[in-house]
Amino acid sequence: MELINAVPVRHPGRWIGAAIILIAVALMIQSLVTNTRFRWDIVRTYLFDVLIINGIGWTLILTATSMIIAIVLAIVLAFMRQSDNPLFRYVSWVWVWFFRGTPVYTQLVFWGLVSTLYPKIILGVPFGPEWFSFDTSTLITATFGAIVGLGLNESAYLAEIFRAGLKSVDNGQMEAAEALGMRRSKVMWRIILPQAMRVIIPPTGNETIGMLKTTSLVLAIPFTLDLTFVSNTLANRTYLPIPLLIVAAIWYLVITSVLMVGQYFIEKHYGKGVDNVMKAPVKATEVAAAAHAHPMNTTNGTTEGGK
Amino acid sequence: MTEDKPLVTIQGVHKFFGDHHVLKGIDMTVKPGEVSVIIGPSGSGKSTLLRCINLLETISAGRIYVHDDLIGFKEVNGKLHDLNTKSIAAQRREIGMVFQRFNLFPHKTALQNVIEAPTQVKRQSKAAAKLKALELLEMVGLSDRADFYPSQLSGGQQQRVAIARALAMEPELMLFDEPTSALDPELVGDVLEVMKNLAKSGMTMIVVTHEIGFAREVGDTLTFMDGGVVVESGPPREIISNPQHHRTKEFLSRVL
Repeated sequence: MELINAVPVRHPGRWIGAAIILIAVALMIQSLVTNTRFRWDIVRTYLFDVLIINGIGWTLILTATSMIIAIVLAIVLAFMRQSDNPLFRYVSWVWVWFFRGTPVYTQLVFWGLVSTLYPKIILGVPFGPEWFSFDTSTLITATFGAIVGLGLNESAYLAEIFRAGLKSVDNGQMEAAEALGMRRSKVMWRIILPQAMRVIIPPTGNETIGMLKTTSLVLAIPFTLDLTFVSNTLANRTYLPIPLLIVAAIWYLVITSVLMVGQYFIEKHYGKGVDNVMKAPVKATEVAAAAHAHPMNTTNGTTEGGK
Repeated sequence: MTEDKPLVTIQGVHKFFGDHHVLKGIDMTVKPGEVSVIIGPSGSGKSTLLRCINLLETISAGRIYVHDDLIGFKEVNGKLHDLNTKSIAAQRREIGMVFQRFNLFPHKTALQNVIEAPTQVKRQSKAAAKLKALELLEMVGLSDRADFYPSQLSGGQQQRVAIARALAMEPELMLFDEPTSALDPELVGDVLEVMKNLAKSGMTMIVVTHEIGFAREVGDTLTFMDGGVVVESGPPREIISNPQHHRTKEFLSRVL
């Protein structure tokens, strides 16, 4: 057997393109280094400033908590939308219509004004006795408003993503599970949703990264501890907007990169049985290496007692 | 369980999909331990009939009884009431179903597929369910594939896992909806073999298929359906060798 050793097709265009990009990047680096108005010394001073680090902390808290609220709500909303119960379907539709139909900035301003609108919240029977009441401003703080405002708005977008994911699962899955006597809610939770996650994760990762930056809108409430607000304040104080913008941008990039790594592993988890299954023949050396890890490659291998 | 009392009784069943009249008055009985094979051209309503027995479709008229249970409804003073989801799920537990396209859960291994319903619906312990599942996988010749995902199995292997999954609920009736139609020809034999053994073990089965050989060898009754009606029904050998109706003759001449 003579192995084919063909001359590959040449791609001169790629080399020219690479050269142009290289020159452009070199010019950019040169300007970054030589243009003193970037004030890299200030960037260095403030990159790990305690106020900035605090701001990152708050930005992360806002992102994480509002996304958790949004995901929980989105699952409920998507299940409601697929329900047999028309009331559920209608409520879910109106929720998405409202929160997707108004700007998140407007919603955040509103959450900041709730205590002006309703200074006291009273629990009791309408026109009847009053059980207890409290000042709204003690309950709806700026933090609460920011988290709830961002979370509710995001839930509408995520609900649509989750709905698309649930719809992407083959109808036969529902039939097979129902034929086994499983109740619909159990089928959704154990059979449909895990498969839908494959479709749901990438856009949800996208939304999480979007949320990281949407948190900068909380000044509408006003919430004043997040990364953008703090770096703006420092910029105004020092009259040096450019280096502080760079500081904020660096941190947003770092966090986004970390989130992308996390997304990779979550995608891998939910792709099991579908994406990361070796079906095509692989190189002999890889087979040998993977033989222990993967039952696929053991011909008539022993049965490991299932996990 | 008397031999004569039917396990499944289908009386005057009609089914409409919108204006489309798919089943036009089906009557049929299946005794315990009987293997009832249904054949017919595509669009004859045979799959729909099977799906009605398992409540994947709701009948428009008539009655279906499995073990004296009216399927899908309860009758109160001569008036039918829809069953709630809980009762429907309970009825389905007694009936196993095998699909043309297997419909294994792709995110679960073969073993996890088989133990899903026993652990989740019957609330069996994982250990007990696993033990039983491995027995069933052994029975379908796949004990060495327990930890494989469906995508790592051939079509025939997937279908055999699907049979094991349905059997794990210990149903009294098994429905097969063209179980070999989606398989490569060389994989059909293994699946039919498993079904044959199941029939021998005394399982009551209703099988919609194009495998005339299986019908002749394993079937107790052969029903030929066309255009939403039962054209003729009887012992498989008689019908295959001496069909009475010209539509049956025509169909058999095309598939044999």
